[in-house]
Amino acid sequence: MSTTPRLRNMRRPRLEGSGRVRRDPRAERLYCGEPAGETLSARGLPRRDPRAWYAAGPQANGRVRIDRSQRPGSASVAASAPLRAAEPALKTVVIAEPAFWVLAVPDLDDGRLSAHDRDVFGGARLLAADGGAVVAVCFGPAEGLDLAGADRVLQFDAAVFAGYAPEARAAAVAAVIATLDPRHVLLPDTPIGGGDLGRRLAAQLGETAAVRVQKLSAGEAIARGNGGRSDYHMAPPRLLLLAPEAADPLGGVRHEALALPVPELDTPTRLLDRGLLAIDPNSVPLAEADFICSAGNGVHDWSAFHAVAAALGATEGGSRMVCDAGLLPRHRQVGASGTLVDPRCYLAFGIAGAPQHLQGITRCERVIAVNTDLHAEMVKRADLAIVQDAQRVMPALTRLIEEKRHGA
Amino acid sequence: MNALIPGLLVLASLLALAALAVARAARWRAGRAAAVDAVAGLLAMPGRYLHDVHDAVLRDPVGRAKAGDTGRAAARMHMLTAGGFIAATALILAVHLFALGGVVLAWLLLAFLALMSAGLLRLYARRKPEVSPRLSRGGFDRLPYAFTAFIVFFAIATLPAAGLIAPFSWASLGGLALLALGAWACIELYVGMGYGPLKHALNGVLHLAFHPRPARFGATTPDSALQPLPATAERLGVEQPRDFAWNRLLAFDACVQCGRCEAACPAFAAGLPLNPKKLIQDLVAASGTHGSDLGYSGSPYPQRPVGSAHGAIDKPIIGSGAMIHPDTLWACTTCRACVYECPMMIEHVDAVVDLRRFQTLELGATPNKAPAVLEELKATDTVCGRPTSARLDWAADLRLPLLAEVEHTEALLWIGEGGFDMRNQRTLRALVKLLREAGIEPAVLGAEELDCGDVARRLGDEKTFEALARRNIATLNGYAGRFARIVTADPHVLQVLGREYPALGGYYSVVHHSTLLAELIEAGRLKPAADDSGRRVTFHDPCYLGRYNGEVSAPRRVLKGIGIKVVEMNRSGMRSSCCGWGGGSTFTDVPGKRRIPDVRMDHVRETGAELVAVACPNCAVMLEGVVQPRADVADLAELLLAAVEAGK
Amino acid sequence: MALDIAVLVSVGRHPASARNRRAVLDARALELALNVPGANIHLIHAGDADEPALREYLGMGVERLSVLGVPAHADVLPVLVAHLKALRPALVLCGAAAEQGAGSGELPYRLAAALGMPIVPAVAGFELHGGRAQLAQALPRGRRRGVEAALPVLLSVDRAAPEPRQSAYARAQRGQIERIAVPAAPLWQPPGEEQPARKRPKRLKLISGSGAERMRAAQGAAASAGKGQLLVQPEPAAAAQAIYDYLLSEGILRG
Repeated sequence: MSTTPRLRNMRRPRLEGSGRVRRDPRAERLYCGEPAGETLSARGLPRRDPRAWYAAGPQANGRVRIDRSQRPGSASVAASAPLRAAEPALKTVVIAEPAFWVLAVPDLDDGRLSAHDRDVFGGARLLAADGGAVVAVCFGPAEGLDLAGADRVLQFDAAVFAGYAPEARAAAVAAVIATLDPRHVLLPDTPIGGGDLGRRLAAQLGETAAVRVQKLSAGEAIARGNGGRSDYHMAPPRLLLLAPEAADPLGGVRHEALALPVPELDTPTRLLDRGLLAIDPNSVPLAEADFICSAGNGVHDWSAFHAVAAALGATEGGSRMVCDAGLLPRHRQVGASGTLVDPRCYLAFGIAGAPQHLQGITRCERVIAVNTDLHAEMVKRADLAIVQDAQRVMPALTRLIEEKRHGA
Repeated sequence: MNALIPGLLVLASLLALAALAVARAARWRAGRAAAVDAVAGLLAMPGRYLHDVHDAVLRDPVGRAKAGDTGRAAARMHMLTAGGFIAATALILAVHLFALGGVVLAWLLLAFLALMSAGLLRLYARRKPEVSPRLSRGGFDRLPYAFTAFIVFFAIATLPAAGLIAPFSWASLGGLALLALGAWACIELYVGMGYGPLKHALNGVLHLAFHPRPARFGATTPDSALQPLPATAERLGVEQPRDFAWNRLLAFDACVQCGRCEAACPAFAAGLPLNPKKLIQDLVAASGTHGSDLGYSGSPYPQRPVGSAHGAIDKPIIGSGAMIHPDTLWACTTCRACVYECPMMIEHVDAVVDLRRFQTLELGATPNKAPAVLEELKATDTVCGRPTSARLDWAADLRLPLLAEVEHTEALLWIGEGGFDMRNQRTLRALVKLLREAGIEPAVLGAEELDCGDVARRLGDEKTFEALARRNIATLNGYAGRFARIVTADPHVLQVLGREYPALGGYYSVVHHSTLLAELIEAGRLKPAADDSGRRVTFHDPCYLGRYNGEVSAPRRVLKGIGIKVVEMNRSGMRSSCCGWGGGSTFTDVPGKRRIPDVRMDHVRETGAELVAVACPNCAVMLEGVVQPRADVADLAELLLAAVEAGK
Repeated sequence: MALDIAVLVSVGRHPASARNRRAVLDARALELALNVPGANIHLIHAGDADEPALREYLGMGVERLSVLGVPAHADVLPVLVAHLKALRPALVLCGAAAEQGAGSGELPYRLAAALGMPIVPAVAGFELHGGRAQLAQALPRGRRRGVEAALPVLLSVDRAAPEPRQSAYARAQRGQIERIAVPAAPLWQPPGEEQPARKRPKRLKLISGSGAERMRAAQGAAASAGKGQLLVQPEPAAAAQAIYDYLLSEGILRG
């Protein structure tokens, strides 16, 4: 017997309301056809072939999940889709007559709420717990403020707030503060987002903010300072700049997110945003790079390597041996004797994983390894390991990316 | 008058040489003052020549490019040519200028000229038909002809005095031609001693008498400790040639351009832009008023042209447009191979370190990752920038007692930077187990142990070295009497603690683990089983153990104790070739055509060895960094521990 | 007329040894200033003139460091404002936050507000043309944004700025430290009860949903710790697809 209760349930996805049958919404979302590798046995019972499932493809978090869609990549897309699609009937909390206001100013980098932004709203809800309402102060449009926990929304859409406009934004928030007299103002402590804006506000208002707040509760904020060596425990002041994960984001409810009228402002503009500078990913120092495509001794086709790095928009890196051989410049060397890197993703072609090299990538969140040796240390370290010749994978990946780019 | 002409020719040449020598001396005297015991030096000079120089010449040059280019041939050539030349000179003056001795001295003169001819044949053999690439050309190529002309001229001039032919007049066509030949030979050979290739003869004599390191002569172990900064210099280190002490300027001028240093230099072999011979020649050229390397006729610095370098006695030596490019300065691994090979006893490494001191202390121009390392050393007392308290993290299970907690220990174990490196923690663990096996309970300093200062000192940061050394010495002196000796697996620690701390007031008995382990085997306190694997094993001598400390036997005794017969590399013992780590060169990281450890691993491959034994944490890391396939790398302690455990 | 640049420096502290040193970010600020041709650099510190670590800034090639003599733990804002108001520099450069003391990163903003200057944080480099500064501001993931401001302007510098040059011992020793007497400054008060920083556990991936889902996520997370997905000898196209899907699912690539 290889079927599980869960699988049986999934095969009857419409059995809602039954007290006994437990539903698995995420599995339902994933389900759209015969499970891969599943066949009916002679007795009519479903059988599954674990190998086929295993090979079905990579999933979120680097873990193997079963892809029942039989569409390449579909499971991962579904898995990363917003959670609210699965929760159609969320309770909406209404705070009609708030006793006080708490402002939350999200970064909205690229117009989306980041996880950090959601944490800030979570913190704001904590501080608004006894009858307060959370006002989101947004520059530009934003989605999902209701789920994040905003009762009211002030959306500044004027052109003067677009791009890097910290002075205009600080003036706007200051004006809101003057009008609403909020009990708290929360921002994410990001270097040129909320961290910049919040410190401008603090200077403008002559207040001391709690910065790099590590943990926030209704009665206490723990700020960090002294070069990261000290925590300062205090009652939450008016201005709070939150480190990531200082408070948990909201889940399971939605708030009204009612739009409030936006005041007219006369805003200063001493700084001009000249837009993003064209940066060749290879001019980015390795230590700063976000996505590194790295080559080792197993790479012989250098044009294919440069092509795949360019297609991915990744910064090039290399093992010591590659840099010793002069195939990449020395400042591209990753490892204990080169640069210690912490990109969000490290894609290693043909790198066996000498201890010194692994020391250089200890802080990488995600590692992908392509190597011919199944027993290479890098393969063991990787979240996704592909035992194959880099020379064959690199052009295939380049081609795939080009296709997706032009096809889309 | 007619008979006096040959004698007058020599006399005039000698007078010209004297004038040139005075001018030359003025160049040297532009240098800093130096404390030199001139009388003792002059008295000791002949002994130094006949013993130390002779020994160095007698060694076959490394990597002989042609058959017959042996040390013995070079020594014979010098003895016959130079010995005959000196004797002939005295006799020429006696016979031709003072008409002394009659037929007997004339025949004696002819005999010495014949002796010179025998040496001359070897000189021809050395330069014909082809010349070893390590040798310089230019004026050196004319020497055989000049000696031939000298012998022919004075032989014919002496024939009448010997009674073989009737006296003849120079005032004939043939006579004048002969006279011209003789005059040219005298200029090349006598006057040339003041400026040309033969200046090594005169300057060499003076250099041996006024040598900057008189202690190296007749010493049982190498005189290898770096010298502290002079206390009263306006500049720290050397910027211009005149910042060198005068006898160091003289030392450079004694260089004979034999290129034995070049043949032995690991950086040169790997194509890094360093050639010790040209380095010294550039320093000589820069010691004048308008110096350039246009007259240099030897091998260049790899990857760099010859002819564009310019300098002067009062101009900076180092710079991209100056006499010596910074890459050349920082390519040196301070391995002392050049110093060991040099038959003129020149101290290249001292010059390199003095030049580096100025670059680091005055200019802050240490390249690549070296400044970051120096900054970490200043802030954390470790090269890797981790706290000293983390040095023993790997040994938590070994429960090594702190020296502060024990009354007395036979062995104070100096962990060194290897304690932070996973590869070398294996070696240290093996060493601790071996000591305990032999009944020695080692103690450690723990967080009190600071970096010994080797890297800082070799990178020219004498101030950081001094600061570290003084604090280490204060700690160790605080434990005076509570440890018998300091044991270390790192030859750099051995060198610095054992040989360089005494200048700062730290006198300790420091022993390398190879020495101690050999003692313990020979005393029967360790009983290793004989290795019966039949592996071919070679041993790589660390520079800082062999050439710096003269210890080449203990590691071999350890391996013999395990029953391993060492298959020696072509370059081993005192003439071992560097792994490429020393002198901070892994941090300055000057690019070459190849990596130095790759070159060394080629030497290992030539022996067919499956395993190369090492005795230094840095050699282990460098050699293990060579791409597979290659021989395995294991420290002596690891091999011995395996054998001891097999013997149980 | 030479451009006056004030560089504000503090005493840093090494994270491993807790020993004083030049502050990493302040040294980068000075490095940026040293790269301006013909600039007249005013190196300023408020604190103890006898602190040896201050000489490390002089070792970078500045002849003089002006120290406004305030005691440790003083609020340096008023003395800095007074000094800079008199100096009237065209540019003020400083690190984003101090390595000891509050180090909240608020000082540059307060200073800018008090001096009436605009402030730009996270400056990685700049050029000056005709009384205006063209700045490159470091954004996350190695991106750079162009920002333009009229002089005078205050720039704060973070790790994206070029590495500081080596501090040379001899220059550090020969440099002069000018002691400037200033009126007594109020003491800085820590913003709350100070405790040694406690390392906080990173949040596990948040799973909202049913109990079964959370359980499965927890089990999956445990099982996948240090162990990823492995494809052995896949077709290159399949391998490429796997990498592409992974990058997409992790948000490294945008589909």
